[in-house]
Amino acid sequence: MGRMLPYAVAVLAAFAAAGIFIALMGFNVLAAYRTILFTSFRTPNGFIQTLLKFVPLVLQALAFTIPLKAGKFNIGGEGQMIIGATGAAAIGILLFDLPLIVLLPLVLIMGVLCGAVWAFIAAWLLYRFNINEILSTVLLNFVSFQVLDYVATEIWRDPFAGHPTTTPLGAGGQLPLLVTSPPLHSGLLIAILIAIVVYIYTDYTSAGYELVATGANPKAARVYGINTRVLFSLSLILGGAVAGLAGAIEVAGVHHRLIEGLQSNFLLLGIIIGLVSKGNHAVVPFVAFFIAVLEVGASAMQRTMSIPVEMVFIVEALILIFVLLTDVVRRQ
Amino acid sequence: MSNENILEMRGIRKTFGPVIALDNVDLELKKGEIRGLLGGNGAGKTTLMNILYGLYKSDSGQILVEGKPYDIHSPNDAIKGGIGMVHQQFLQINDFTVAENIVLGTKLINRPTLRLEAEKQTIRELSQSFGLPVEPEATIANLPMGIRQRVEILKALYRGVKILVLDEPTTNLTPQEVDALFESLRAMVNEGLSVIFITHKLREVMEVCDTITVLRNGRNVLTLTREDASEEAFVKGMVGEDLDVEKSIIFTPGSTETDLPVGQKPVLQIQGITVREAEIPMLKSCSLTVHEGEILGVAGVAGNGQLELAESILGLRPFVTGQIIINGANLTNLNTGQLIQRGVAYIPEDRWVDGFLPNANVAQNLILGLHRQPPYSNGRFLNWRVIFERTQNLIEEFNIRTQGPDEIAGNLSGGNIQRVMLARAFSQSVRLLIAHNPTRGLDIPSMEFIYGELLKRKSQGMATLLISENMDELFLLSNRIVVICNGEVMGVLEPDRFDKYLLGRMMSGVRQGE
Repeated sequence: MGRMLPYAVAVLAAFAAAGIFIALMGFNVLAAYRTILFTSFRTPNGFIQTLLKFVPLVLQALAFTIPLKAGKFNIGGEGQMIIGATGAAAIGILLFDLPLIVLLPLVLIMGVLCGAVWAFIAAWLLYRFNINEILSTVLLNFVSFQVLDYVATEIWRDPFAGHPTTTPLGAGGQLPLLVTSPPLHSGLLIAILIAIVVYIYTDYTSAGYELVATGANPKAARVYGINTRVLFSLSLILGGAVAGLAGAIEVAGVHHRLIEGLQSNFLLLGIIIGLVSKGNHAVVPFVAFFIAVLEVGASAMQRTMSIPVEMVFIVEALILIFVLLTDVVRRQ
Repeated sequence: MSNENILEMRGIRKTFGPVIALDNVDLELKKGEIRGLLGGNGAGKTTLMNILYGLYKSDSGQILVEGKPYDIHSPNDAIKGGIGMVHQQFLQINDFTVAENIVLGTKLINRPTLRLEAEKQTIRELSQSFGLPVEPEATIANLPMGIRQRVEILKALYRGVKILVLDEPTTNLTPQEVDALFESLRAMVNEGLSVIFITHKLREVMEVCDTITVLRNGRNVLTLTREDASEEAFVKGMVGEDLDVEKSIIFTPGSTETDLPVGQKPVLQIQGITVREAEIPMLKSCSLTVHEGEILGVAGVAGNGQLELAESILGLRPFVTGQIIINGANLTNLNTGQLIQRGVAYIPEDRWVDGFLPNANVAQNLILGLHRQPPYSNGRFLNWRVIFERTQNLIEEFNIRTQGPDEIAGNLSGGNIQRVMLARAFSQSVRLLIAHNPTRGLDIPSMEFIYGELLKRKSQGMATLLISENMDELFLLSNRIVVICNGEVMGVLEPDRFDKYLLGRMMSGVRQGE
């Protein structure tokens, strides 16, 4: 528990620092923080909103942390999520009439595959040409925006919608609800399952160990027989698969169609979650939940107190900075 | 040698966090004296001299130069005070000439045109008076270590130092070059210089130094003149109670069984290996054989193909031609993972870069390379309980000083990291061990421990390829010694021909028959 102390201090320091800004802007700091932190737990709706946010956040975090274990930086979670969502929506629309037990798995698997393929582009460029994955994954994000735009405006356009959206998926492609009102989709179970599987993979399997060793010291890993070159690329593909799944779940569970902007700010928050967790897969889900709480609180704060949501983003960023600083302080 | 002290260091104390590197150390240097600073790795010799040279700041203590207190905050201060230092790693620019390297950073007469005629003349004069022949026009990259070291020394002399500190100067020299260095030191002292000679090699220090100070664990343990000295006194000083000298392999080689009969069966046969790196042949048609129960030493100056040899055997470096036969099976195209599974173990030279995972814990480090095999894994899942148990056992067996299997390995000292590497290598049954400079940078008890392990396994039939730049080590442990120079095998020596001068000649490129 002594190990938790620096992180707790970092979080408190972040809140304190942001609190100064909020006070300077003339708002009631305590009321603001009460809203941010407790909205999730005051009403069933608040809690369910938190869980709905948790799903893409934890998956985006994992999409970042899996390659991070191998020492690679996947900044393309956004594009992978969008392409995954596109593929999922495509299947859901094309096979509109298929029943749930056939269509839903297809939709989700398509999301995983498309996300993996999108990441594969960057992975292959890394493997073959040693092109830095930070560049390639980010640039592919921009390409993905165009792809979604094209699909939502040219191919399956919903003529009644105000901005690029497709027509809905077939009923068989929609995730069943755990709770009907307010709606909580079963993607939550999938996300939790994936988080557990990833944790077991990296921490308890030989294959996961190779990933960890590759990230810890690729040269030494190679000397002792690990195929680091393949693992670098493989880690990116796995990250893309998880991000693609996130996209498929948003489509199948939340929007029931492909909609521009579904990626929200999940990429950035996912990276923050991954970095704050230091890549520790036992911790990622908890940090993701905490960030989900803050996000829900942020919207509430903007609605009820007119404090801009960006304040919460500042808090989240400060948490990241302070957590990273604890590392520096500890080394002294 | 006069009787006045040209340098005094009083009460020097230096800590790095909880570690006490120097504990109130006193040192005096008389004018014209060659003072040996002797001690094992980690004793504090380099730290003390780094403080003298302004690279570190002591926590407390005083430095007096020619009787007057002198504050040293940086190497510039040191040089202004007349103190110069020659480090183990030379700070030279390969593409520049000798003269350019020597005058770099000093005031030049012809700065705009960089015509160094006057400076070169000064260099020639210094080189004459101090017995350090060099050619000012020569390019550094083409020069052998011995001459590069002279350049390094001339850099200090050029700046007019009166006190010269040499940090382990004989590390990269052949025996002949070492003799030449000692000649130069005597010439320098005759010209009024005073020298501090840092080393861990007992015999050298007895050869050339007037007085010898022994440091151990950050304390000045012993100071004796050469007349009063005996090897025994110094050994006791260096290791204290840490080592039972009577039973020691290093200091009393006759006391242990090092000449066990070698098996007849060849474990490793290398035939005609050629390794190229961008058209330059690093290893030229190299062939050698290691038998069961044999330690085959590989001698040579660093950078003559040793790394390429080790890595090509392990499947880490592609070779153009050649075959590798292990236990009779042609395993030429196997990759490292497969070789490890067949009982080949490797202790790489550069443990930080090639050998271990600094941010992972001790347990994770110990299973590297073995993480897909029982008992650590069933091929899929790791069995952490077994891993931790085995790690605990290995920590005890190999005397690794650590808080436990989950301590972050990067926190361990060099000697303990090497013990982790050894424990890892020996945690499975090993048929063939490739060890590259396994005791580099280690304190004497650790070296002793490693030698003991190597000999124990040897008696159990393990074959070892011992690549080392430490000649004493090779003489101590090897059944035969093969010498490499410029990627070629110069010859193989049997024990009756283990002579350091012969080795030195072969290391410089003179071929010898069997």
